[in-house]
Amino acid sequence: MKAVAGKILFAVLSVLYPILVFCGLRFWGLSPRKLSILLLLLAAFHLISASRKKQPGAASRLKEGCFVAFLLACGVAAFALDNALVLKFYPVLVNVGMLFFFGATLFRKPSFVFRLATFADKRILQTADRSSVERYCDRVTLTWCIFFILNGSVALWTVLCADEKIWSLYNGLISYILMGILFVAEIGVRKMKQSQLQSYIPFSKIEADSRPDDSVVCFSGAGLSGDVKTWADFKADVSKVRQAVEAEPYTAWILNADDVYYFLVAIFALFQSQKKILFSANRQPEFIREIRKPDVGFLNDTGAEGALQIPKIIETYTAKNTWTPFDINAAKAAMYTSGTTGIPKEIPKEGWQYENEANALAERFAAGFANRNFYMTVNHHHIYGMAFSIFVPISAGLPIRRVRFEFPEELEQIVKEPAVIVASPAFLKRLAANRKEPLPFKKPPFWLSAGGLLPDEVANRVEELSGNGVQEIYGCTEAGAIATRRIREKKLWTPVPPNKISFAENGCLKIDSSYTDIGGFVTGDLGKIEDDGTFQLMGRADSIVKIEEKRISLPEVENRLRQTGVVRDVRVVPMTGKRQFLAAAIVLNDEGNARFKGEEKKDINAFFKQHLSGFLENTVQPKKWRYLEELPQDGMGKIKTREVQALFEIPESPNFKILKYHLEGNVLTVKMVIPSTSDYYDGHFPEFKLLPAVVQIDLILRFFRGFMKLPTTIEKMQRVKFSNPIFPEHPVTIEETYSPDTGKLAFKITGEDGKTCSGGTIVLKKENA
Amino acid sequence: MSELNTQIKEVLIKALELEDITPADIEDDAPLFGQNKEGRGLGLDSIDALELGIAIKDNFGVSFSTVNEETRKHFASIDALAAYISANKKD
Repeated sequence: MKAVAGKILFAVLSVLYPILVFCGLRFWGLSPRKLSILLLLLAAFHLISASRKKQPGAASRLKEGCFVAFLLACGVAAFALDNALVLKFYPVLVNVGMLFFFGATLFRKPSFVFRLATFADKRILQTADRSSVERYCDRVTLTWCIFFILNGSVALWTVLCADEKIWSLYNGLISYILMGILFVAEIGVRKMKQSQLQSYIPFSKIEADSRPDDSVVCFSGAGLSGDVKTWADFKADVSKVRQAVEAEPYTAWILNADDVYYFLVAIFALFQSQKKILFSANRQPEFIREIRKPDVGFLNDTGAEGALQIPKIIETYTAKNTWTPFDINAAKAAMYTSGTTGIPKEIPKEGWQYENEANALAERFAAGFANRNFYMTVNHHHIYGMAFSIFVPISAGLPIRRVRFEFPEELEQIVKEPAVIVASPAFLKRLAANRKEPLPFKKPPFWLSAGGLLPDEVANRVEELSGNGVQEIYGCTEAGAIATRRIREKKLWTPVPPNKISFAENGCLKIDSSYTDIGGFVTGDLGKIEDDGTFQLMGRADSIVKIEEKRISLPEVENRLRQTGVVRDVRVVPMTGKRQFLAAAIVLNDEGNARFKGEEKKDINAFFKQHLSGFLENTVQPKKWRYLEELPQDGMGKIKTREVQALFEIPESPNFKILKYHLEGNVLTVKMVIPSTSDYYDGHFPEFKLLPAVVQIDLILRFFRGFMKLPTTIEKMQRVKFSNPIFPEHPVTIEETYSPDTGKLAFKITGEDGKTCSGGTIVLKKENA
Repeated sequence: MSELNTQIKEVLIKALELEDITPADIEDDAPLFGQNKEGRGLGLDSIDALELGIAIKDNFGVSFSTVNEETRKHFASIDALAAYISANKKD
């Protein structure tokens, strides 16, 4: 406490010194001898605060000693000689003191300003930006030294050659103003610097010494304070994987790695040794066999069949100094998209496309990305995840989390971290729906979303929760990230420079940029381009269908339905049966749910039909309707036409209502509810409605048939148990897992309270078909 | 008459695979195609008309000549259809 009070008094006296001396001499008629007390006081305060310092170094003791000695000497001289000149030397002395103080740290690094900077933000020490921040801080320290030389010289001139008025005016006011200007100007320059990606190097050109060896490349936990992989680890591991792949005869490698760190290590190893990379998110043996030609190797980190394991290589090989930049024009790759038909399609890519895209994105989003860690909720084997959470951060020297977030709850761990979150609408929808209280981010995260349309209300909710809106990205595997928009600001998409949007001959949007092929890339999207180059998306070209000879754009029907203001999400799909028709799967928003509460389905249908009849002819109005809690979507947040169509292939029944369903591999999950009017309850206890066991089995088989498209003749049932009743109007979730080899269909019905209602295994007869 | 009406409604729902409605939901005098001013009507289209024509022939043995203005009138409502069927049914 006393030390602090001493410091404050010292500072106040120091600052006011020129004014006090001037007033003392001019107005208060004090003699220099009396005023010399001020100097002696300053010396005393300084001595007290310096002596309280814990374990001062020799250099610091010497410095403090000299300073106090000078103060004392001046004080004593002024007292003895009763001379004003000596009194006026104090400001010069302060400048000399500061010069030594700042100057000394330039020789004994780290410099004073860098010490201050790292004291305020320890993160700097662990990032690639450290070298550039340090360079900058050294320069600032030097600037202050020059300032003290100049300011001290002027102060000396005012002591020797000017009168008291000028002396006090300069040292008591002007010099402080100059100091303030320099201080503010430096903050401005620093802010500008901080909004730049200071360490950005196109990834093919990164040299072994481009980054500090202990700067973080990847981290495992919430941020940099946990387990990390540094640049030195990275270089070593790249050299090991490089040796391993060069020992094999393959010219191309399939790369599938869940861990971003292994993924990155493999990318650099393969590109440095000029191997083609086939990025595959899918590691199913059947799929790998399909794409693995005789000259193709396979790198993986999860024990996939027939693959070299990256962690194993890192364990067994010895690191060598093999790091080299590589020729980006020789780097070849391929990616696989799921395609609208569901059959994976190979898309060739070249290294320069990735690099130019990363450069463009880094430039576009520099201020948003600078000084942050990268987190992802999407798969990094696809273009969006790869561009934003692999190539941009590695080029910018920003740390990346090794494992992606699967659940919105995980965000809780990173609220203290400066974050860029590479997310998808699927993840954000879940976040918006489940999170009640705000996410207390210290610094609002920079949100990105791509892969599908982000509903406005989800974007708004995310902003409410986190303090920052979502930057939506429009792009595709072939052309990369094309354009961006902030939902709350405007509806139109703004191309990411240097992307240029025009119309192709077929009326679809065409993209030209530094990362598309020379001729540009024609998308399958329709749109409207404004005069200023921004554009609007109007649905996919293949979303124009013919229903009984009448052309109709599916997004148009969807937009008309959205216009009602009661729709959160909608998908209209073409169906064929006896005739062609449209069918609409709708998720009502809160307003819609409130409005139609207690109404029958046919009345809700009638509401939408009535609205559409003003715009669309009968033939192209949806004939069938489903109202769900959520549209079926895959992990990437894409809603597949096929899966929506499956909903309509199970005939609607007044006896049950499907709320949502999800099919992944051989696992089917259906959430449904039985209305109290359902026939299923007839003939059983009228007062106490229970869902009969036989109905449960029937529903399980009905969904299995409908969604999995497999026959359902029962051979036998095993360990089937009905433990809790299923009541009307209480939603339950049916989970079915099918093992094609044994024909076993395991099921479990769970209530919303988490209680198991029934479970068991049905063995299905294997059909010869 | 009303029993025939119900039969026609059942045939119609089955043939056109209409969802979410029962015969009771179809009004006897409401238009089958499109909607009238009060917003009543099934909103069927011309493809449905062909489909319905075939179903009626199969179930009631009454056929329609090619679709013309006259035929259109018979399809105006359930009542109109019932009248046409009773008049043309060969017992």
